[in-house]
Amino acid sequence: MSIMRINIGPMHPSTHGLLRLIVDVDGDKIENIEPRIGFLHRGVEKLLENRMYMQSPPFLEKIDYVAPMGWDELFVASIEQATQTQVKEAAQYIRMILLEFQRIASHLLWIGTFLNDLGQMFTIFMWAFRERAEVLKLLEDISGSRMFYVNFRLGGLTRQIPEDFVERAFKLTDYLEAKVTQYKDIIDDSSIFIQRTKRIGVLPKDIAIAYGVSGPVLRASGIHEDVRKSKPYYAYDKINFKIPIRINGDSLDRYKVRYEEIFQSIYIIRKCLDYYNGLSNKDVIGLPIKLIGPPAKPDIVITQRELPRGEGLIYMIPAPQKPYRVALRSPAFSNLAALPKLATGSKFADLFSILGSLDIVMPEIDK
Amino acid sequence: MSDEFNSGSNAEEIINAEQKMTNLMFKSNEIKPNVMFLKLKDLMKYTNSLKTWSRKNSVWPMLFGLACCAIELMDFGAERIDAERKGYLLFRGTPRQCDVMIVAGWVTKSIAPRIKRLYEQMLSPKYVIAYGECAVCGGPWFESYNIIKGVDQIVPVDIYVAGCPPKPENLFEALIKLQKKINGDEIGNSERSISSNIRKI
Repeated sequence: MSIMRINIGPMHPSTHGLLRLIVDVDGDKIENIEPRIGFLHRGVEKLLENRMYMQSPPFLEKIDYVAPMGWDELFVASIEQATQTQVKEAAQYIRMILLEFQRIASHLLWIGTFLNDLGQMFTIFMWAFRERAEVLKLLEDISGSRMFYVNFRLGGLTRQIPEDFVERAFKLTDYLEAKVTQYKDIIDDSSIFIQRTKRIGVLPKDIAIAYGVSGPVLRASGIHEDVRKSKPYYAYDKINFKIPIRINGDSLDRYKVRYEEIFQSIYIIRKCLDYYNGLSNKDVIGLPIKLIGPPAKPDIVITQRELPRGEGLIYMIPAPQKPYRVALRSPAFSNLAALPKLATGSKFADLFSILGSLDIVMPEIDK
Repeated sequence: MSDEFNSGSNAEEIINAEQKMTNLMFKSNEIKPNVMFLKLKDLMKYTNSLKTWSRKNSVWPMLFGLACCAIELMDFGAERIDAERKGYLLFRGTPRQCDVMIVAGWVTKSIAPRIKRLYEQMLSPKYVIAYGECAVCGGPWFESYNIIKGVDQIVPVDIYVAGCPPKPENLFEALIKLQKKINGDEIGNSERSISSNIRKI
């Protein structure tokens, strides 16, 4: 048959942002995919060069709006590394708790939208948003904002933690565990879901490494790699959590890795809450913002963090008042780069099952 | 007596009165004008109010998100606020079925012509809500080289919602204000309205 060219997007409900895909199909089979990006480009890296250090976190948060706290913390951590600021012990545990809650919220939103893409309209979507709303409520009470919590300072946090925080966080983990376990009945046992994801969009090990894929997508291909384990920061080395791994590398495995990560995050949160409870000094307030900016050494700073979507990296050349150059390595970009390899040869109807399972966020790719 | 008989004024009055009577009689025998037409004319008053009432209570938004605010838009469509009770049905996928376009997110130079085309594809009457600071004025990206500072430079905007991002409740309030606007009420300062004075790119 002759090859037909189909244009998808840039405004399409299943592309998770503004992504244009040009697909060549032969009948129902995908011959070639060409992703076109850049519809949300706004020059973040250039904007960061013109700002004092602690004016920048609001810009970093909007890079990945599904899990804003990850990028915020990554940037603050790179400044801390440049200025050699020690994070207070209580603040370390609180940061870990907040980051893991953010990871849970991000994975919950992904589960809801992924099931929407597969055609199971709005049941799981409503459930996942109900649980996510509870997480956001806790984060809002700590930081004062619902979505963009600019809550990190050098060496700690902006605000004091409320007194009933530990009790509430424990209750929330119980609630999440009870509710997320229920998803198993409606997702994992559904034969339609299994048929639409099993052995679809298979990413072999060697190709995953060659394309620089990271995060749950990499772990679903059977590679034991997590920055929290390989280069532990804060107190992650004190906690004996598992990294969920699957070996097949298809869409179903990517779902299962994320699903199990929610429970691992709950485990980490509980351990951190125990450690935090035992501390005598519970002060978490960091250094005040100085508009002049911290005295930074002119050296190269590289910081890695395990974000919900994969491995985020900041390469910064600090200067005394502003950063001379900031380069951001976004995990979603390299995950999207593997899409043509993944989807070529599969059916056109499976394209959004594959694209959704990669969990991309477009502003992180366009920057 | 003769004066009384010959007084032309009296006689003319009588003749005039007779003619008036015959005229009236003649008019009553005339064919009546279209009754249906008259009633429709009266009915238009009621139909107009019916039209605005139904237009006001079935505003369908377009499934169209750009950036961060689209996540709050999803939250708006989720279980948090039951917007269907006010007539905001499910988000529609095609602009031809929609009444209101919610611009949620920053508008880059490459996406601006597409937003304009989507707006032109909508059937009138059509309304636009600028949701979030980026759509209102450029927001935090005001200094960026690739951002259009406010969606009102491309399409006329009816309602602005400030915040970064505004809560879903704010969007609901904006949509209720839009209902008032469709009803013909004034919802804000008319001097500040930009919809009648579109700037060009």
